[in-house]
Amino acid sequence: MPVTKVLTAGIGEADLRNIDVYRERGGYRQWERAVRELKPGDVLDLAEKSGLRGRGGAGFPTGKKWSFLPAEKPLRYLVCNCDEAEPGTFKDHMLIAEAPHLVLEGILLGSYGIECHHAFIYIRGEFKRGYEIFSAALDEARKAGFVGDDLFGSGFNLEVTVQRGAGAYICGEETGLLNSLEGKRGEPRLKPPFPAIEGLYGMPTVVNNVETLAYLVPILEKGAEWFASVGTERSKGYKIVSVSGHVQRPGNYEVALGTTVREIIDIAGGLRPGRNLMAVQPGGGSSACIFEEQLDLPYDYENMAKAGSMLGSGAFVVFDDSTDFVKAAHNLVRFFAHESCGQCTPCREGGHWLERVLERLVHGRGVSGDYEMLLRVSGGITGLNLCALGDSIEPFLKSVLLRFPEQFRARVLKAKETVPV
Amino acid sequence: MQSSTIKKNLYNVGAILKGLSITFGYMFRKRPTIQYPSVKKQHAPRFHGLHELRRYGDGQERCIGCELCSSACPANAITVIGAENAPGDRVSPGERHAARYEIDELRCIFCGMCEEACPTDAIVLTPRFEMADYRRGSFIYDKDRLLVPIDAGVGAAPDERPGGIPGDLGRVADIKSTTDVAEGYSATWRGEILKTQRRGLASQ
Amino acid sequence: MNVNLTIDGVPVSVPKGTWLVEAAKTVQQEIPVYCYHTKLGPAGLCRVCLVDIEGMPKLQIACNTPAAEGMVVRTRGARVEAGRAMILELLLVNHPLDCPICDKGGECDLQDYAMAYARGNSDVVDPKTRKPKAVDLGPTIVLDEERCVVCQRCVRFDDIIADERQLVVKDRGAHDIIATATGSPYRHNFTGNVTELCPVGALTSKTYRFKSRPWDLNRTQTTCTQCAVGCQQFADVRYGTLLRTMSVENDDAISDGWLCDRGRYNIGFYASPDRLTQPLYRKGGSFVQIGWDDAFALWGKAITDAIAAKGTPSVGAIGGGRLTNEEAYVLQYLFRKIGVANLDWRSGRQRQATPGANGGALTDIELAQAIVIAGESIEERAPVLWLRVRKAALRGGATVVHAATPAEAVAALPAGATRVALVWDGIDLARGRAFADAFAGVAELSTYVASEQGNARGAEAMGMLPWSGPGYAAARARGRDAAGMFEDARNGSLAVLSMFGVNPVRNAADGAAVAQALVKVPFVVVSELFLTETADRATLVLPAKGAFEKTGTTLNLAGDLLPVNAAVQAPDGVLSDLEMLLGLAAQLDVDLPRAEELDATVIEHMAHAPEDFGFGDSRFASDVASVPEDVPPATILSGGGTWRHDPTLATLQVETPSSQPVGATA
Repeated sequence: MPVTKVLTAGIGEADLRNIDVYRERGGYRQWERAVRELKPGDVLDLAEKSGLRGRGGAGFPTGKKWSFLPAEKPLRYLVCNCDEAEPGTFKDHMLIAEAPHLVLEGILLGSYGIECHHAFIYIRGEFKRGYEIFSAALDEARKAGFVGDDLFGSGFNLEVTVQRGAGAYICGEETGLLNSLEGKRGEPRLKPPFPAIEGLYGMPTVVNNVETLAYLVPILEKGAEWFASVGTERSKGYKIVSVSGHVQRPGNYEVALGTTVREIIDIAGGLRPGRNLMAVQPGGGSSACIFEEQLDLPYDYENMAKAGSMLGSGAFVVFDDSTDFVKAAHNLVRFFAHESCGQCTPCREGGHWLERVLERLVHGRGVSGDYEMLLRVSGGITGLNLCALGDSIEPFLKSVLLRFPEQFRARVLKAKETVPV
Repeated sequence: MQSSTIKKNLYNVGAILKGLSITFGYMFRKRPTIQYPSVKKQHAPRFHGLHELRRYGDGQERCIGCELCSSACPANAITVIGAENAPGDRVSPGERHAARYEIDELRCIFCGMCEEACPTDAIVLTPRFEMADYRRGSFIYDKDRLLVPIDAGVGAAPDERPGGIPGDLGRVADIKSTTDVAEGYSATWRGEILKTQRRGLASQ
Repeated sequence: MNVNLTIDGVPVSVPKGTWLVEAAKTVQQEIPVYCYHTKLGPAGLCRVCLVDIEGMPKLQIACNTPAAEGMVVRTRGARVEAGRAMILELLLVNHPLDCPICDKGGECDLQDYAMAYARGNSDVVDPKTRKPKAVDLGPTIVLDEERCVVCQRCVRFDDIIADERQLVVKDRGAHDIIATATGSPYRHNFTGNVTELCPVGALTSKTYRFKSRPWDLNRTQTTCTQCAVGCQQFADVRYGTLLRTMSVENDDAISDGWLCDRGRYNIGFYASPDRLTQPLYRKGGSFVQIGWDDAFALWGKAITDAIAAKGTPSVGAIGGGRLTNEEAYVLQYLFRKIGVANLDWRSGRQRQATPGANGGALTDIELAQAIVIAGESIEERAPVLWLRVRKAALRGGATVVHAATPAEAVAALPAGATRVALVWDGIDLARGRAFADAFAGVAELSTYVASEQGNARGAEAMGMLPWSGPGYAAARARGRDAAGMFEDARNGSLAVLSMFGVNPVRNAADGAAVAQALVKVPFVVVSELFLTETADRATLVLPAKGAFEKTGTTLNLAGDLLPVNAAVQAPDGVLSDLEMLLGLAAQLDVDLPRAEELDATVIEHMAHAPEDFGFGDSRFASDVASVPEDVPPATILSGGGTWRHDPTLATLQVETPSSQPVGATA
């Protein structure tokens, strides 16, 4: 299956940052139609029927997430999560920087769907350019009357606030994001209560990814059936895949879910000449690798889970035979250890411990038992953590440990050599 | 009748000679008596005698005042009171040192549990056993008497010091030791045994 | 509503919403915890309280899982034990093994759980992370960052109990540390509690640093008498020296498990070298040391002579607020027996200590919708009471009103408030009456008098008032109150004045006038621990025992009868006030009541507060009309009377306008 441009349509061809260009291409028409003609419940229905699932990583059905909001609490918030920090992911930044009005329209539609009157977008601190572009787009939209009070004369009010983070991976976790948004230390909250019951400022809150919300625009335009007609049985629609690593043309490619892994590699130009594929990490830094024998699996939520990995945020990292997996593992584990908020024990201590052992291995100073320790500790900390960050350390490490044990064992000093400490 | 008496007496002479032969026989054997205190017997390698508090090479006390010896002591013979090291006047390397350290040697049963419990190898049992005194109070050894004097050699284990083990620690350290290093304690500290073992392992 | 579940095969029925960790306690199953604390609630940080719940794929944390109907929970088993062992191994990756010098060693949760649940060995070969050690966090606390397990109990205590919000976690990941938010010293009235909350030896008290190991301490449970709240306390003594006091965690009715820094750290004076150890008699211009027999003979002769010469109005006794109930009872019994009616405990500014009608229990404050503070702030008069007021405000949403006039207070009340707590300082009777009248219509009013002296209410109940005997029964003859006695002294009509644990020269409204008056009294007896301003003007100074050195009972501001137990031996030659009164009674030929007549049940009977008076009853009014205006509030931390602060704790001064440096006392 080839690349299908839905959200990415027009990017690189027209100046979508300009509200006039965007409107010429049909922009904000769905927003106007929704407010004028549809009830909030209709938007929710569309989201539910389309089978749209969260594009941020967990893949939770969007309509279902919205339906958890308690009806008796009218004050609620929508938060758009643009703290895109998963290693290998670069789709959200592209969307807010290249198609800010599309994202904004998605946020507006989502807010309408859950009947909230104040939406927030939390943009990662490093995305300075994206933040500026999005803020400018928001101002344009406000001037054009798409954001504000009494929209299109319907009496519906909606305000959007842009908030910049300070560049912490943990603030991409939804409760960590909410804490950060409230001005507190960016630490995940204890669940329950879940954000849908008690979220931002103690009010029911929905946190959705940029891409998820943006897909609401084409769904409203072309209908839920159009979206649901693409993809596999339980993974509907399209997905922007951020392909990186050892391919000839890395970048964002929008494909229908269910495209095989091999096809995605080919779309990105294939491997460099003369190189063999070693592994593919299909869902960002938190996902396990899949290997050559699994390349013909369809790229969707279920098949990736069945292969022992996950689709995650769609960060698709390709490793060829030039890869030093000890270095790769060290790099990723160092990232997670560095980004751990330090709240809960397994992630704080376990991540740091694994990082130090891997660092020794990278420098060829492993001791006997290190390999077993890496497997035991990374497995041991999984499932004990307060949030998903601690559980993200194991998948990649374990998959490469089991697949390429010789790479790790080669770094262990021989028994005769002294133990460096 | 007389002849029988003579015979009997002759028999006794034989017995006397036999007895004397044992006596004279011992004259030519090696004498078991040791001229104590000018000569001292070699102790078993792990002899448990009087305690000593060791120092590090830089003269700082090893004892950190943790009281583990005192809680390990089955005879309740040890009293320790800890205190904090002043930044300018450091007694031991860490944060804490023993402000008071006392062992009641009359209560002590020389079991060596204090030595086992010590996390810094500060308290050790030396082969010294001569503690006789006239007053009970003088058997309470405080830090002044337990700490190895700096001039007796710091850092080293008791048997490794150039002057050997001081005759009396602390108070009379300047008095020449009664111990002849050459004849005296040859392997009286367990460190020696461990060292030998280690050397043996290394050569294998 | 209760739910039924099974924990380790034992059926349990607990109220809905109970955390599993609490439910397990009901069947004596221990679930290890670091971050969870009954009073702080769950935080889900340490992850050590793992349990296996049937039907759940992952191990769950017991501290944040509510008990549900039909739940089958296992706190043991291979899975749980593997999970716990993993967590403990991780906690020990960077935890320094300096247990031998750690003050927590021996009572450390990390040691205990590591012994109980961890693997015996470790795969760690890399060096541990280094963080600052022995950080001077504030005047009372030393922090060892390396030992910290980041359970955030201290941070949460500061946030949700003390409401000070000074402590925070800084940095992140394995490099996170505990620090004050602004970097300024950590100081407020309740800092010492974090040392008890800390499950490891990261936060330790400066006063107890390296003083002892916990297994060497002899522990006695007693009552803190430094203010009128009466918190239960453990007094830990080693080799006869009081080294630390600890809170009693399940003391929900009185202290709620917390102690203030005054109660926790102001204990050094027991071992002070300045303490009086021998009776002092003024000969010529200076004191000479005399024996107890001579002291009793002089004291008895002075009283007998004075009564013979000028009659019983020329004799008076002041004290009781710092004595035990038994001592206060015997004090008034002895003097009333010889016909003396000049008895009073009110040496300072306070006029009344018993709330009378509507007196409430301390726990009632938590139920109040509004708490009105009439008079001086209670933050220092009764710190742990203030903590309960904060709890009511933070958790119960109560409104706390500091108002100058009753009208302002009523205006600040939330609409329709039916449960109000009224706290008064007992100083200005008219003000107390005005506030009580203003709130008389409230359906559920509970009233409190926050006294400065620990047993002020007990002294009133035991009859140390000029107009009432034990149990608030009207006295046969009405005597002069303390102010009246000082007036008599100025007029030269007072011959013998005996004072027990009071320091009016410092604490009375007009101390200078008292000092001048005392000069005119021929025979002044002062029972004290230290040579205070008042003792310095006495004819006979008697060295007294402190509260941790004697046994008896005390009555707190809410009327709870609490035991005072001897925890530490007094210095040689020091007698308790009771023993002194026994000696005096022998001189005066009076038979004192037998011990069984003084037992707790009798005392409790007498301590029962009557309902026939309220705040500012006219009987508490002073004999002397003129009370000087604009008197600065006394230094409450110094307390006056029997107590004196440990000079090493001079830095404990709390930064509120009403306080003066502790070190300035004496």
